Amino acid sequence: MAETRHAHPPYLLIWLYLFVLTVAEIALAFELPFSRNVKLILLLLLALWKAFLVAMFFMHLKFEKWNLRLIAIVPLPLALILVLAVITEHVW
Amino acid sequence: MAHATATVDVMRPPAPAERGVDVYNLKLGMWVFLASEVMFFTALIGSYIVLRFGASPNPWAQPGKVLSIQITAFNTFLLICSSVSMVKAYASIADGNVKLMKVWLLVTILCGATFVGIQVYEYTHLIHHGFQPSGYREGSELAELAAANPVPYGAATAGLYGSTFFTMTGFHGFHVTCGVISMTYVFIRALRGKYSQQDHRGIEVIGLYWHFVDLVWIILFTIVYLI
Amino acid sequence: MSGIAAAAPAVHAHHDDRSFIRKYIFSTDHKIIGIQFLFVSLFFLFLGGLLAMQIRWQLGYPGRPMPGGGILPETMAPGGVILPEYYIQLVTMHGTFMVFFAIMPLLVGVFANYLIPLKIGAHDMAFPRINMWSFWSAFTGGLVMFASLFVPEGAARAGWTMYAPLSARHDLSGAGLGQELWSISIVLLGLSSILGSLNYITTIINNRTPGMTWFRLPLSVWALFITAILGLLALPVLSGAAIMLLFEQILGTHFFDPAAGGQVLLWQHLFWFFGHPEVYILILPAMGMVSDIVANGSRKPIFGYHSMVFALVGIGFLGWVVWGHHMFMSGMNPTLGSTFMVTTMIISVPSAIKVFNWMGTMWRGNLRFHVPMLNAIGFVAMFVIGGLSGVFMAATPVDMPIHDTYFIVAHIHYVLFGGSLFALFGAITFWYPNMFGKMMNERWGKIHFWLTMLFFNLTFFPMHILGMGGHMRRIYDPTQYNFLKPYQPMNTFITIAAFALFASQLIFALNFILSLRWGKKAPLNPWEDNGLEWTLPTPPPHGNWDRPPTVYRGPYEYSAPQVAEDYLPQAKKLPTDREPAAAPVAGH
Repeated sequence: MAETRHAHPPYLLIWLYLFVLTVAEIALAFELPFSRNVKLILLLLLALWKAFLVAMFFMHLKFEKWNLRLIAIVPLPLALILVLAVITEHVW
Repeated sequence: MAHATATVDVMRPPAPAERGVDVYNLKLGMWVFLASEVMFFTALIGSYIVLRFGASPNPWAQPGKVLSIQITAFNTFLLICSSVSMVKAYASIADGNVKLMKVWLLVTILCGATFVGIQVYEYTHLIHHGFQPSGYREGSELAELAAANPVPYGAATAGLYGSTFFTMTGFHGFHVTCGVISMTYVFIRALRGKYSQQDHRGIEVIGLYWHFVDLVWIILFTIVYLI
Repeated sequence: MSGIAAAAPAVHAHHDDRSFIRKYIFSTDHKIIGIQFLFVSLFFLFLGGLLAMQIRWQLGYPGRPMPGGGILPETMAPGGVILPEYYIQLVTMHGTFMVFFAIMPLLVGVFANYLIPLKIGAHDMAFPRINMWSFWSAFTGGLVMFASLFVPEGAARAGWTMYAPLSARHDLSGAGLGQELWSISIVLLGLSSILGSLNYITTIINNRTPGMTWFRLPLSVWALFITAILGLLALPVLSGAAIMLLFEQILGTHFFDPAAGGQVLLWQHLFWFFGHPEVYILILPAMGMVSDIVANGSRKPIFGYHSMVFALVGIGFLGWVVWGHHMFMSGMNPTLGSTFMVTTMIISVPSAIKVFNWMGTMWRGNLRFHVPMLNAIGFVAMFVIGGLSGVFMAATPVDMPIHDTYFIVAHIHYVLFGGSLFALFGAITFWYPNMFGKMMNERWGKIHFWLTMLFFNLTFFPMHILGMGGHMRRIYDPTQYNFLKPYQPMNTFITIAAFALFASQLIFALNFILSLRWGKKAPLNPWEDNGLEWTLPTPPPHGNWDRPPTVYRGPYEYSAPQVAEDYLPQAKKLPTDREPAAAPVAGH
């Protein structure tokens, strides 16, 4: 049955990506002369990129049906709603 | 019904009434469980974001001042390696290579256990220097440093810093520990020849959990140690 | 690994050689687990009722020694007179036991476990062992909570919502260990609910029998499915919050401590982010089971099956964005408050759709007023009253004067007692023959229903008036306030009615217990229902079916013209029925 399954994605390449991105994060946080807010946004984007790589390739979400992906996605808007709503307590 | 069981592909869903999500029970259950884990970490990480946001204009401790970046960067590297070794174990057994699967599984367990060990070292180190869940311990080295340099050490927000740091990383470490224990169980089953190309549900499902824990660490490392 | 048991038809149904402990104590059989939940949560329901009676005594007769109160220790009620410290524990623990250890396990623990596999034609849950752990985790949580009543300084004292910093600091609440045990118990309960929910979701998605398509599922299963999703995603937030509270108590963290930069509103937001989905966890299964019972008692297909399903799904979505309506008076961001006001008003629409459909189902039906049907009708009526007072409170300006008054107490009891508990009386009576093979007594069931209906309304309706008069929630002695003195006779009246209400529940308890032994033997399909569970012998054997049944139609085919009887079971094959197409397996 395995031969009918998809070929394995290039896991070592993903690993290399994750490694490079982590190094980039640390360099960004401590070495590069950006302003705090730029750093914040870039770091978050890099972290999300890494998380996305892990979810898509290591957890095989890229190869699953849409409704299984839905299960993985459903909590994210809820998390966003909770955090955003509570944060507005400080801006009014 | 022995003949029927023999032809059942256990890596497929049990005969569903309709096309469902097309995965077997254990995998579906793990995904559903991970959805609830996302909400659990939302409570912890979300509280951190909200508290840190609400703490302004009081400054938060600058990255690298209290927490050691070298140690955790190495830990991050370990966890990424363990994730790739885990997925390699899965790929090996999917290709029918039982021996290679065991090797990769063992590598994963060792990486995970080392991660926990380093985290325990980090905690004892931090507590020794005076960083604890309630903030900087009075009279400790860190408390003195913070009194001398209140801005880089975030003296006014030390209580929140300690609370959120230990809760988030502590629960992540707890999850890693659970992962190492269950993976050891899976490894023992693997030694007994329970997994094969036709049935390697345990490997795939523990892998999902392990990658999730890795994913949480990727987020935590960035928002706790680097920002 | 156990997940695959359902793939191969089991043949073990009739020779069951498990030991007593494997069969009844550490059982993995979903029916036994459901029945374990039933007995445990009925005990907590009784306990919660006892606590409520003490609250009522203090409010009706403030400062007078309680009859029988002499057995309580000096730290609670010296000479039977309830102390303020004990009173606030009573209020806290009544809420906690009723919400977390009585209604929630009764609805979800009992009926999700018992009904889901039987109604979808599965042999058991997808993960029977996880199911067992779910029960034992909840049981341990219940034991911890029960034990907290007896520790020095007594149980938790911060109200069932545990608002910080009162709950977080021992010097403020005056209770040390009791508060910590509360947090630990809630974490255990959260774990149990998460394990249970993932089991229910997986089972419903993957283990339906051939022909049981999504839109042939009984509404009870649909409701339990949505409930499981709510529980799965809401309980972890509560667990996280309870863990933070526990750390606050034992590690000295500062999450909710404003003096160190923490936020008190953070607790309220986290709690109610869980708390509002929780409200629907406490009512959706009741709605689902009432739908089944109303269709059965009306001998008509349910009116608007699809709209019922979409209303459930709609509640499942909207339930996440309304939590702030519990916090209008907390000093929350007013923009947020207005948003929550609008979403709360929107969420009353799906509930109204359901009420409309129940009445549409009963309209011109061939009504059979058996005990479950009476209780289901009682549910609909009481839920309407509770729902309408909810719409009052959804409007921020109206909520302001009645917030934290007895109006809220009346509202929550109309939906939780008048709603959920009436549905539960109906559901327990309805599925009792299936669980135990005996019928509950019909006459005493009816007497119980009418007495409960009467005393329930006598108890809780006047609370609306008390609340409008400004009677605060959780106060120890209303006679201390001049403006409440004229209401004291009403308080006494409510107390008498509440005692009568409690006494009426003893009828149900006796009927339940005595019928186990002396009840009439249940016929195969006593209510002439269409569900798959009634195709089995009562009680169903371990593993349920030798061969999984095939389903040919939806669950509400009552009074169908094709057959002589006025019901047409889902698994009955008519000559015109075709076998369901074999389920297509995953492509590549």
